[in-house]
This record gives sequence, C-alpha cells and structure tokens, in this order.
Amino acid sequence: MERRKAYNRIYFCVIAFLLVALSVLGLLFGSVNISLSKLAEVILGRDTTSATYAILYSVRLPRVLASLLTGAGLGTAGVVLQSVLNNSLASSNTIGVNSGAGFFVMLSILLFPQNLAAKSLMAFIGAFATSAFILCLAYFAERSRVTIILAGVTISGFLVAAMNAMKIIDDDLVVNTLHFSIGSLSGVTMKNLLYPSIGIVTAITLALIFSKALNILTLGDGTAHSLGLNVNLYRIFFILISSALAGFVVSFSGLIGFVGLIIPHICRYFFRQDARLLLPASMLTGAVFVLAADLIGRVLFAPYEIPVGIILSLSGAPFFLYLLLRRGGKRVNA
Amino acid sequence: MLEFKNADINIGRNEILRDISVCFEKGRITSVIGPNGCGKTTLLQSLIGLSSVKKGSILLDGEDYFSYKPRERAKRLSFMSQFRENTPNITVAGLVEHGRFPHMGFARKMNADDRSAIERAIRLTGLYDERDIPACELSGGMQQRAYLAMQLAQECPYMVFDEPMNHLDFPAQREMYGLIKKLNRDGITIIIVLHDLNHALQISDNIVIMKNRAIEYTGTAKECLKTGIIEQVFNCRIHSFESGNEMQYLIG
Repeated sequence: MERRKAYNRIYFCVIAFLLVALSVLGLLFGSVNISLSKLAEVILGRDTTSATYAILYSVRLPRVLASLLTGAGLGTAGVVLQSVLNNSLASSNTIGVNSGAGFFVMLSILLFPQNLAAKSLMAFIGAFATSAFILCLAYFAERSRVTIILAGVTISGFLVAAMNAMKIIDDDLVVNTLHFSIGSLSGVTMKNLLYPSIGIVTAITLALIFSKALNILTLGDGTAHSLGLNVNLYRIFFILISSALAGFVVSFSGLIGFVGLIIPHICRYFFRQDARLLLPASMLTGAVFVLAADLIGRVLFAPYEIPVGIILSLSGAPFFLYLLLRRGGKRVNA
Repeated sequence: MLEFKNADINIGRNEILRDISVCFEKGRITSVIGPNGCGKTTLLQSLIGLSSVKKGSILLDGEDYFSYKPRERAKRLSFMSQFRENTPNITVAGLVEHGRFPHMGFARKMNADDRSAIERAIRLTGLYDERDIPACELSGGMQQRAYLAMQLAQECPYMVFDEPMNHLDFPAQREMYGLIKKLNRDGITIIIVLHDLNHALQISDNIVIMKNRAIEYTGTAKECLKTGIIEQVFNCRIHSFESGNEMQYLIG
C-alpha cells in the first residue's frame, strides 16, 4: 500500500514535469523556432514589439492553452462518463456527444458565422442534448451497458451524416470546417478560447469537488441509493459536467477523438477507480497527451502541419490496442 | 419499526405489488420467505429506489421513510442488494470506506469515528488480510463479505439483506448467520430475504411469508411452524427435532 502511494506520487511528479516541459517546448517550436532567451525576454516584458512577441502571444500561447484545455477537458469528461454510465467503453466520442456538439457547432457556423459565443453555447447545447437523449434511451429501453454504446454509435453515425449533408448544401462549409472535422488546434486565438476556458475550468473544478459522489455512483444504482446518494440528481449533474466539457472542447478544437476513451484507462491502471485521484490524473495526463501530439504535428514536417486529431488517432489507436492485449485477457476494468 | 402501509409497488410502469401492509418489528430478526417471483425483492427494493411506491406509505420509526433526506435515511437503514453492477476496481478497504459516505460531511474527510467503524467492519468480516486487494479481483463469496463490511461500516440501526447467502460456501454461511445474530444482540433490527427455510426458521424471531405477490402470513417463527403454513406454501413437509440447544429442521 505504501509502495503504491509512492508510485502514485512519482506518477504525479513525472506528469507535472512533462506538462511544464511540453508547454515550454510548445511555445518554442513550430514553423519558426524561438530560443529560450527570447522567450525569457518576452515573459519578463523586455520585448513587446518584435515579431517573436507577436508569434508567442497570438499563435503559440493560444495553441498551448488550447492543448491544455482540450486534453484536460476530454480526459476529465472520459472519467466522469465512464463512471456515471458504469461503462469502460464510454467516452464523449463513443456515446455520440462529440458528434452532437459538432453538429450544433456546424449549424452555428452556418447560421451565425461571426458569433463566437454562439459557437460555444451551441456546442454545449448539442453535447447536452445528445447526452440526455442517450441517457433517456438507455433508461427507458433497457438498463444495459451495451445499449448505451450501441445507441451512441448509431446517433453518432446519424449526426455525421447530417453534418455531411450540410456540407453538400453549403459548399463553403467544406473548406471552413475541414480542420474542424479532423480536430485541429491551428488558428485558435485567445478570443476563441475565452468562453470555452471559463466553462472547462468551472466544470473540472465541480467534478473534482464532487469526486466522492462519483465514486459512490460507480457502485451501481441500488448500492449508491442505499448509501444515501441522490442517484438521479447526481447522474444528471455529472452528465451536465461531461457535456459541458465535451461541448466546450469541441467548440474550438473540433472533433478530436480517443483522448476521452484512452486516458482514463491509462490512469485507472495506476489509480484504480478512485475518482479523487483518477480525475486529477486524467486531467493532467490528457493535457500532456494533447500537448505532445500537437507539438509532434507541428515539428514533424515543419513548416507543414499535421492536425492534432490525426496524430492522436494514429498514435492513440495502436497504443490502446497494446494496453488491451498486454493485460492478457484480463478484463479492462470498468 | 419499519412498516409498509397499503403500499402499491411498481417496477418501472409495471405494477408488481398491490395494497401491501406489513410490519417489521424493531430489535427483531424478520425473515421474508416465499417461492421465486412472489415479490420479496420488489417489496424491499422500494427502500433503495429500485422499485417505487405508487400508493400508500412506508414508515420508519413512525416517520415517512421518503421524507428523510437521502443521507439521513442512509444513517438509519442500510441495504445489501442481491443484484449488483460490476464491482469497481478499488481495494476492499476503499469499498468499506464507501460505507461511511452518509456520515461524512461535505468535505468527505474521515474522522476517528469513521476510521474505527471501518476497522471494526473489516475485523468482523475477517477481511483483514484482503484489505489492500482490489475488490473486483476477489471471488464471489469474498466480494459478498466485502459488501457486508461496507454495510457494517454504515452503522445503521436497521439492516436489510436481500439473499445475503448468495455465493457463500457453507462455513461462510455459518459465519454470516453468527454475525447477523450478533448484530441483532447488539440491538440492530434485521430484515432478511432467505431461500433456505431451515436457516430462516433457525435464525428468525418473526417470519413474513409471501405468495403470489401478496403477504400470506406474518408472525413469530414458532407460531408459523404450528400453523403449517410453510408446508402449504412450499408444498413440503417439515420435521423438527432438538439437537444440542438448538432446534433443527428437516425439510423434504
């Protein structure tokens, strides 16, 4: 037990170090490389006019922040959803929440092209509407875990088709939403990030505060109820939180997959199903994961860029398969 | 005293039980028995929201059971469910700690009371050596014990068990009975759904017999034997004899 605690501490230290290191690297490298001394000058306020300053503030910083928010948001949303639905296959992707948010964002781009607040709000509405729909479906049809995933896959397919239909109707949308469909952080600005960052930070804070209740929910309805948890209230509360996270992330990063599914599994390997550790661990690990993927996408074929969504799926899928197979038939813990 | 008054109980939209009135006396062990599908589990699951009371009421110590705040309710009555979703990947000690949930404040910090309740529960269930093992890796019987420990840590004056003997081997069943009797001697009211009639007759002060989704009989275990109602409901014969200080029953 003591040893385990020591391992946990080491994990947090390593991940925190990676977070800081990758954030700094993310500021330094890209199509133009910036030296550490230049970065220091800008941070210390000695340089406020050069091109370096402009690149840092209008390109690199928003990008690093967007990576952090995306990873932390999706990682946390994954833990919350998997716990609430008691299903290790759940993530905002697999149950169609991302597609729901994506559909509404695309609708918003079509209807109010200039309105950033509308985009965030629509993403949240889309994510929540899809979550609520899936939850109702699972609740009224049959309380089975497979049902939820199947319903999610179905709805996801439907919404992707609807998004494609919109692209056919409006040609401009194809070009405007190419990066959105793949999941990309290029072109993110501080202004883009304002509303989503407030939403994401609030939702993560709430999830952390109520992490004990999340633990109780994983025991199943009957047991959770007998322990004095208002099961229905908390379920809706946590669905709201995960919707907010998925929705706000999608609003600026597009349809990024895999983070919400994989990160909780990696962290559960170290921290078991204890949300008090699992939530912060997934938040940090998710952030590191997306930071690394975005950085690789920027420097690998510089000055050309590979969208972060592609890097995440290309590296995430084999890695997840490896995790599944390495555990040699042992079930993936829910 | 836990009292169901003219209760109609539904699962989802299906009405399962109609106009049920039954009383579980304080400080006693009451067994609920009856053939499969007679509604025993449905009746008691209304206490944890898995079935819903559509009409009538449930009173706990004279107060409306549903008027308690969830956590206040969970400090008075604990429930071991027959059906559970998958056991989460947490250590046995972690699972037992969940039993303290209703007692902990908003910050969910454990105090000395919480720790001693957890220690005691782990000791009583003989799980000391397993405390750091993930509950989901234990056998069915050991998991059952771990959940019992969680329920003990809840420290409620009323404890409900829905078929607690599932997955337990013979010695473990004996231990469970011993523990239930001990808890009862400490003043805890026990309500228990059982399949083994022999055990039910041995352990219970009172017996509730259900048949065809209705209460067929309520009374003390001794009277119950005299009336021959069990023989009638279960279509069997009961021979009782004394062995040592205990009554034994042979059911065939």
